[in-house]
Amino acid sequence: MRFLRAQARRLSGALADLGIGDDAVDPARPFVLVAPGAGGARITALNQAAAATGLAVGELLANARAQARGLQARDADPAADATALRRLAVWCLRYSPRVMACDEASGGAGIFIDITGCAHLFGGEAALCADLARRLRDFGLAPRLALAGTAGAAWALAHYGHDGTIVSAGGEAAALRDLPPAALRLDDGTLTLLRSLGFRRIGALIDAPRAPFAARFGEAILRRLDQALGRVAEPLAPVLPPPVYRAQAVFADAIVAQDHVLAAARRLLHAVVRDLERDGKGMKRLRLLLFRVDGGVVPIELGLAAPTRDPGHVARLLALRLDRRVDDMETGAGFEAASLDVLAAAPMVEHQAGFTAHGTAARPDGLARLVDRLVQRFGSGAVRRIATRASHIPERAAVLCPAIEAPPGDWTAAPQGERPPLLFDPPELADVVALIPEGPPRQFRWRGQRHTIVHADGPERIAPEWWRRSRGDAEATRDYYIVEDEAGRRFWIYRAGLYGRETVSPRWFVHGVFP
Amino acid sequence: MQAMTNASTFWTAPDEASPPEPSARTTRLAALRQLLAQAEHATRSAGPGPGPGRESAVLPLDLPALRDHLPGHGLARGCLHEMTAASTADTAAAFGFVAALTGAALAARPGPAVLVVARRGLAGHGIPYGHGLRRLGVDVSRLIVVDVRNETDALQALEESLRAEAGLAAVAGVLGRSPDLTASRRLSLAAAASGAPLLLLRPAQVAGASAAATRWRIAALPAGRDAHGTFARWRWAVTLERCRNGRPGHWTFEWDHAAHRLRAAAVLADRALPARPGQAAVRRAR
Repeated sequence: MRFLRAQARRLSGALADLGIGDDAVDPARPFVLVAPGAGGARITALNQAAAATGLAVGELLANARAQARGLQARDADPAADATALRRLAVWCLRYSPRVMACDEASGGAGIFIDITGCAHLFGGEAALCADLARRLRDFGLAPRLALAGTAGAAWALAHYGHDGTIVSAGGEAAALRDLPPAALRLDDGTLTLLRSLGFRRIGALIDAPRAPFAARFGEAILRRLDQALGRVAEPLAPVLPPPVYRAQAVFADAIVAQDHVLAAARRLLHAVVRDLERDGKGMKRLRLLLFRVDGGVVPIELGLAAPTRDPGHVARLLALRLDRRVDDMETGAGFEAASLDVLAAAPMVEHQAGFTAHGTAARPDGLARLVDRLVQRFGSGAVRRIATRASHIPERAAVLCPAIEAPPGDWTAAPQGERPPLLFDPPELADVVALIPEGPPRQFRWRGQRHTIVHADGPERIAPEWWRRSRGDAEATRDYYIVEDEAGRRFWIYRAGLYGRETVSPRWFVHGVFP
Repeated sequence: MQAMTNASTFWTAPDEASPPEPSARTTRLAALRQLLAQAEHATRSAGPGPGPGRESAVLPLDLPALRDHLPGHGLARGCLHEMTAASTADTAAAFGFVAALTGAALAARPGPAVLVVARRGLAGHGIPYGHGLRRLGVDVSRLIVVDVRNETDALQALEESLRAEAGLAAVAGVLGRSPDLTASRRLSLAAAASGAPLLLLRPAQVAGASAAATRWRIAALPAGRDAHGTFARWRWAVTLERCRNGRPGHWTFEWDHAAHRLRAAAVLADRALPARPGQAAVRRAR
């Protein structure tokens, strides 16, 4: 495992340099972010111009104003910082499929990039680091990079070592030996204690016997040490789920046109399909990431109704999606790189496109392709199948669910009673006149129209599902009637609540219409 | 050979559909039409349109009353069939009829069916309900329901479905506005390419010119009851207003709950119009 830690000191201030958040800030003049602290507002981040005047993080804003003329100050916005960091982390996906963003709570704003097996694509580890550093500097950030075999060691070196340190595999202990214990991401209390006990270097911690440490400090300190040295694994949450298969391309020149994006996507698809064919799999879910020159990323995610390995089909779906997004897609100065990530793959057997009984050129995966295309055009919520559920409550017994999930329904156990082909969801309240409260309806008023009932069939009694406890009429016993009015139209109406046992004034609802 | 009759009828002019002469010439005319159909088919549909070698170009409806009114004695596959509710209140009835026909198409051929519903098409009439559709003979597990926001999307979804090589058994659509001539022509061309019947339920307004092969008007009738007085048969007053190479007519059809199929109502069976009615006569009969 090779972890690259990109530590952007003064990240918030630098992001402000980019003009993120506030257009009125002049990046050439001193600028600080402040947050309430002991004794008043204190500086939490500053830009290079502010640092040049001798300001530092933690100073009182009142003192800083006296020290730097024309100081611009804004309230720190941790949420916006986190968003910006995440965006930067997503952009870093161009280097590796596994990127982790860490907020302040887990040891300073920064990004871990797991470049295991990726460095050769960029001409080696040193070249990759140099490329990343140059690009981050171009964004106006002041990055500190370190590359090591563990995330902990990379973090330590990025914070307390030299910028651009690259530690070869197994060299972590030697590299960390001279760093202060703070490089192990420990909390302030522990650090104070360690300092008072005379531990000034990590080397001393490595050499000291472990058992007394565990007894005195608990597990935290040893765990951090072991993580930094690679003795235990450190689980990190990736900023986006890592793909199963991936293909990526860096373009010589930024591309903007939709055709060019599609052509690039098609090339990537062909590359991915080769791997899929080798493994006998088809893609179920994929993501196309387009990396903008200015550090933005446009993600396009696709789900497929059935596993497929057909680049042409997927490219058409991407084209449909791009058509839909053409208005809100920010191309900026163009895309300089793209990656195609297969997020989920499923085993797939190749079918022969053969002859069918009725002579049309039906493909075995024709329906899946149709569903995919309709989904891309109208959204996955618009293309649905009707699934049956084991319930007696009519509106729960059959539900429309996205066709892409394709739930297998068992329709053999369907109810025996008559059901209308059109159902109102939710049922509509109606004024009903019945001779006796528990009897069949004689007349009802619905949508401002009076219907005299000529004939009523029923009741079909449907008891509530007691295992779903909730209040209201939805859970009252229902007596369903099929009624026909004098115009020859039939309705499915029900009385909610048993008269005398559940309610004294039952309400009536129109739930559907029969042909 | 009769199966080919309908294949030709796409590009014939709308007013060509007037009913044939009730004389001995009828048979000769029919023969000539077939000849014409073959000739037209040979030039027109090089693609997988309806034609020889296909299992059947019509959807058999098992309705004897309809036999002599529809070319090929059934609902032509690969054609656009327009259904209209007689009034807005009859929309549910018309939807039921379309569902029953879709069910028949699903039963006649393997493969899925697509139901495209424009939001305005069923506004105020509820949403399609699986168990109810199943009662009308629709194999719900093979049905894809596409909900679209507007008419343009609906037409697009219909055409996309028809153009897909998915071996569809039927394509049905519920529209909120009648498609214009161009749109309906596009649809019927797409239907011809797919070989699946396209059933279109459009709102109860006066429609303009259309490229539909048949045009039906459907109204609700009081349901038939069994000996115990419970509902046993949904009934529709069905008017075939226009049929290319066929004769208009008016019938009462019913859905037999016990037999699970569409049939002509026993009492009023085959109330076909005289052989040469004008459009006005059709209206009066209704």
